[in-house]
Amino acid sequence: MRLPRIFGKKRGHRRTGSEAWGSFGDGLFHGALVCAGVVFGALLISGVAVPEWRINHDFIESRGRVLGKGLVKRTVDDPLAAASTTWRPTVRLRYDVAGAIHEAWTRSQPSAGVPDRAAAVARLADWKLGSEVPLWYDPADPTAIVLERGYNWWMWLLALLLPGALVAFGGAGLSRAVRRWGRSEEALAAATGIPGLLGPRAPASPSAVDLAGLPPCDDLVNSPGTQLRYRLPLESPENWTLLGLGLFAAFWNAVLLVLAVGAGLEFTSGRVDWLLLALLVPFIAVGGAAIALVVRGLVLSAAVGTTQLEISDHPLEPGGTYDVLLAQGGSGRIRRLTLALELVEQATFRQGTDARTESLVVWRRQFDAWSDVALLPGARFEVRSTITIPSDAMHSFASEHNAVRWRLVVHGVPARWPAFLRVFPLAVYPGLAANPRETPRPARRVLA
Amino acid sequence: MSLAGETPRHGPFIDVQFDRPGRGYEPGDTLSVRYDVGGLGSERLRAVEHSVLWYTEGKGEEDLWVHFFERAVKPDVAGSFAVTLPQSPLSYEGVIVKIRWCARVRIFFQGGRDFVSEHVFDVGRVPPARMPKATAS
Repeated sequence: MRLPRIFGKKRGHRRTGSEAWGSFGDGLFHGALVCAGVVFGALLISGVAVPEWRINHDFIESRGRVLGKGLVKRTVDDPLAAASTTWRPTVRLRYDVAGAIHEAWTRSQPSAGVPDRAAAVARLADWKLGSEVPLWYDPADPTAIVLERGYNWWMWLLALLLPGALVAFGGAGLSRAVRRWGRSEEALAAATGIPGLLGPRAPASPSAVDLAGLPPCDDLVNSPGTQLRYRLPLESPENWTLLGLGLFAAFWNAVLLVLAVGAGLEFTSGRVDWLLLALLVPFIAVGGAAIALVVRGLVLSAAVGTTQLEISDHPLEPGGTYDVLLAQGGSGRIRRLTLALELVEQATFRQGTDARTESLVVWRRQFDAWSDVALLPGARFEVRSTITIPSDAMHSFASEHNAVRWRLVVHGVPARWPAFLRVFPLAVYPGLAANPRETPRPARRVLA
Repeated sequence: MSLAGETPRHGPFIDVQFDRPGRGYEPGDTLSVRYDVGGLGSERLRAVEHSVLWYTEGKGEEDLWVHFFERAVKPDVAGSFAVTLPQSPLSYEGVIVKIRWCARVRIFFQGGRDFVSEHVFDVGRVPPARMPKATAS
């Protein structure tokens, strides 16, 4: 029997490693988490939860006379600082247990201590010497007495939550490692159905299984057009950028306002904090620039006007020809307006601890171009065009880390404003997939 | 795990034959595969797995989907399997995204070791993409 290969190797663009060692290491790590959770939980339960539970369930109520009062001093050495000291009030009581007279000091949790000695002494005033008070004693050890009962829910939460989280997380990982042990990549993938793939189309039906890897089209066909069948949604990363910039500007300037108010109050009271004023200058510059950029983005967005695309059918098929309506709002003159179809590959990969996504236009065809378009307020520029998907084109594809996307791109160059780009995603399905026929569900079975 | 190489045959090997010499299929076609396991020596088989799957290659992390899977726990050194191919995805040779269909035969030995033989085939006839033009990252 050979030992599994420890080191991985490169095969083409794919790196392979030892799944056996990987599962072993994974199991070891999660097993250690389970052990840590069990030990931690046992310590907390035996040291905190069980004593408290016994006080509330097993201890017997009685009454005792206060004989004396005092403070329990507890000093803990802190390696990072000086030793910390806490003071806990305690009372000496005389009480009767089944005819036998006992005397003992009351007990309580170390957490009942306070760092301030004066505060602890003040709490002692609650008990008067010679008075009679209720108490609870441990039937197994009558010298163990308390004056208060109840639960410290924070400690219970700590006792259950932290070890519970460790055990749950470690147990899940351990069971996954055990489940993976000795099983092939294909067996695991077949068992889970969606191995490493957030299926854009869940395999809920036989036809859906047939269409694995196709992105959903639902969001692209839920808006009817005014002249053609569907209005395409606009994919606008610029708007998200503008929103992010707006949030940043709001937050930054809010902080700036607080600082400025503070500086103003000091100034009016006759004091001038020159350091604060010096700091405010670059803050004001950044805040002003952020506001200017947001305003510029809003003005550009409003000045150019909205762009709408409608299409005669969806999803599209390779070889299909479709009518497209381009509607451009706004005012002024657009020197050039183009309509193009693009195929974009998108790959998401890890670079260190970051997940990066790279996009690449691998095919582009311009279908129409218009020059010197005069836009009138209140009337959209509307024009019809026709696009054709190449008959041998790749269909749209989407998996967790990879995608092949089709899109229509409107590029405009206004006379007075910077150029703009508007992107409208499309879904291209393989010919038969647009009307999927029923085919047998693929087998996943074990042969005897 | 070992992987079937192209030339050396000093260990186990799996000969796979597709029912189409060019290994070119259309969506909805039936794919038939026959295989022969050899070079076992004194080792005995514990199980054989047949699968038809696609996976992605390229710049992104690998995604994988198993379309067909079966496991024979009383394996023979020769066998066959057939499956109807789905409508998607089609095989694709992109620039940073590639989609490959393959048939895999994986044998498990009594000692616990396994050996896999992977054979790529094409679904559809999408020409390779060749127009790199970076747009964003």
